[in-house]
Amino acid sequence: MKRLSVVVAGTGQIRDVEIQPGTTAGDILNQLSLRDYLLSKGPNDPFFAAAESIFDKVNDGEKIFASTKAEVGLLCA
Amino acid sequence: MRLKDLGSRPAPATLRNMFSRIVRGHGPAVSVQRCQIPYWQERGWQQRGNTYTGAYQTRHGAFSGEIRQHHGTDIEFFLYQPSQEIQRHSHWTCFQHHGNDWYLVHMGRRPKDVSSGIMTIERLITEAFEE
Repeated sequence: MKRLSVVVAGTGQIRDVEIQPGTTAGDILNQLSLRDYLLSKGPNDPFFAAAESIFDKVNDGEKIFASTKAEVGLLCA
Repeated sequence: MRLKDLGSRPAPATLRNMFSRIVRGHGPAVSVQRCQIPYWQERGWQQRGNTYTGAYQTRHGAFSGEIRQHHGTDIEFFLYQPSQEIQRHSHWTCFQHHGNDWYLVHMGRRPKDVSSGIMTIERLITEAFEE
């Protein structure tokens, strides 16, 4: 069991969760009703895929971010 | 006589403190409140009306930026003097020159809030340096 603090980037609200081995990023987002969001350890790290198990990729007590989906592009090919 | 009684004197403060802590035990834990502020604020951006100014911060450097929030999710992100690394990024064509070295970063998929947009651009800058 690991405890995580999920920071909702837009508001700064912190949601505490406990995860078990095999918990995916999608599980967390669903549980927190953050369906249009992505999880990451921060802007210097890639987003976790929804189906990605994150238990081994985070530390107990770590703060991770939930931000809305965004992408630079469209003007480009 | 091999021993001379010199009387008593106070123990050093460090020892007194140590013993008093043992006698008292630990004090009650102080609960520290977590700061729940939006990411843009945490990263030092300043808001004036609908405009935010600050820097996109990455481990490769900080880049001046400006954000204009027109309505809700209608948000424009600007970057000042993008570096050579950014100009070589595959998404460089998504940067529109707006004069005086300011570039509008076009979002194919728009973030729903300012903070998510800042994180997106910081991630792109990091990618540009690590490609």
